[in-house]
Amino acid sequence: MKDDELICRCEEITQAEIKEAIKFGLKTMTEVKRFTRAGMGLCQGMTCGRLVMGILARETNQPLSEVKPCTSRPPVRPVPVSVLANRVTDDDQN
Amino acid sequence: MRIEDHPILGKAEWGRKITLIVDGEPIEAFEGEPIAAALIAAGHRVFHYTTKRNEPRGVFCALGRCTDCVMTVDGQINVRTCVTPARDGMVVKTQIGLGQWEDLQVCGEKEE
Repeated sequence: MKDDELICRCEEITQAEIKEAIKFGLKTMTEVKRFTRAGMGLCQGMTCGRLVMGILARETNQPLSEVKPCTSRPPVRPVPVSVLANRVTDDDQN
Repeated sequence: MRIEDHPILGKAEWGRKITLIVDGEPIEAFEGEPIAAALIAAGHRVFHYTTKRNEPRGVFCALGRCTDCVMTVDGQINVRTCVTPARDGMVVKTQIGLGQWEDLQVCGEKEE
């Protein structure tokens, strides 16, 4: 994996940017996420989450099993606000 | 390109022929297939451009996780075309960045 390769495709964060951020002393996924914005885009880290975990484990010399993923909060998949607001329209019933 | 006879899934079963309006141009599609499938079959490769670098994006994961295939569909922004079934007359537009709302029909009513 090259350094200029995009890790977070949504926020367009490269591996170099993540490595650079980890040098500031970041140790957890949540720290990396808040510092770099990797995982805060449209897909909410579904694509880059595991990649960032791998980079973090390698850069901080800790086993991958010790790296905790970011806190997951519902909804896990994107849903329209109308679903949460319990609004049923003709469109929804079709 | 469409896979008509898949070695594992067998012969494809398609719905009736419909028309999608993609960036103002009509394309042929089958009802119920993902919008992305119709676009790929019609030769469209660029679905949206990214926010920061303005880079083209198309189908990446094709199962609704990566949001690389998002487009503006019927005025609604960030619609994942790879998991959204095609319906007749859908207006699909290439999206720039996170897109812009066009018409608030999502909740079933328009703002006066």
